[in-house]
Amino acid sequence: MIPLNDIYVLLPAYNEAGKIREVILGLQQEGLLNVVVIDDGSADDTVEQAKSLSDVRLVRHFVNRGAGAAIQTGIELARRNGWPHVALMDADGQHDPKDILQLQAKMSETKCDLVIGSRFMKKNEEIPKTRIVFNFIANRMTNLFCKKNYSDSQSGLRLLNRNAIENLNLQIDGFGFCSEMIIKAERAGLQIEETGISVRYTDYSIRKGQDFQMGINTAFNFLWNILFK
Amino acid sequence: MEIRVFQIVVPLIALLFVISFITRYLKAKASIRETVFSIVFWLGIGIFAIIPDLISNFIASLFGIKSNINAIIFLSLGVLTYTQFRMYNLIKDQQLKLTELTRQLAIKEFENQEQV
Repeated sequence: MIPLNDIYVLLPAYNEAGKIREVILGLQQEGLLNVVVIDDGSADDTVEQAKSLSDVRLVRHFVNRGAGAAIQTGIELARRNGWPHVALMDADGQHDPKDILQLQAKMSETKCDLVIGSRFMKKNEEIPKTRIVFNFIANRMTNLFCKKNYSDSQSGLRLLNRNAIENLNLQIDGFGFCSEMIIKAERAGLQIEETGISVRYTDYSIRKGQDFQMGINTAFNFLWNILFK
Repeated sequence: MEIRVFQIVVPLIALLFVISFITRYLKAKASIRETVFSIVFWLGIGIFAIIPDLISNFIASLFGIKSNINAIIFLSLGVLTYTQFRMYNLIKDQQLKLTELTRQLAIKEFENQEQV
């Protein structure tokens, strides 16, 4: 089993002052003590909230560059500092920190390089219908470029091992990084697995997530990068 | 043949742009790709202004378009689409550079903090 001390949790955060403390405390309660907050140019006091807790590493983007950019920064830090595993998790409180242990178990069991926490492999009645439709379209688009079919290509909860950290070179700034990571991982010959996770949708997390306009932009950026870059 | 004002003004403007792009290239301010594309584009505009009817009728007959006016509209749409594509690409490249700069600054600050 992968030791919990070997897992560094990357939390990309943009204006998450209302939730970030709760999310970090939840992780620490589960024994995940290596927490790295990547503040993506927040205009609220996300940074101060994160700093108020002990044992939290903080990285700051001076301007907002998107979730993908924050994840790229986190992965590059992992590469440079020799972190053995990184877990990616949304900072809006929609994920249960316990689910990282599910990803850890899956990676230990299958010896894979990347585990994606799938919201659709477990019964999650809370998922709003608009999200189901959005994810269905995004899955179809992503799977077009993949060998395998993934049930949740947009999931923000993932676990990467050292091989994945070394070999993933992402470019997309925005939410399109979720699909890009899967496609590039396949191309790099990394083994990818999925495991069921729970999800908590609240008014806050729905408001923070992608709306229709952002979804269109994400899809367009993703296709642009795949086809022209 | 009656010569209209735009048939003199537009080729002159096009010539100015061609000279300007060659100068930019010689001063290493523009890439060869950008220079060639711009020269071809402005030469095309200049030639089109000198013999508009001949070119538009040729394009109309080439693509089976009924009138030369329609041909001009289609050609303009093509040029606009291409320039839009180039502009989008340019913006994306600038955004990527900004992201890279932001990320590297963040990493540097983080590593300085860790050393302290």
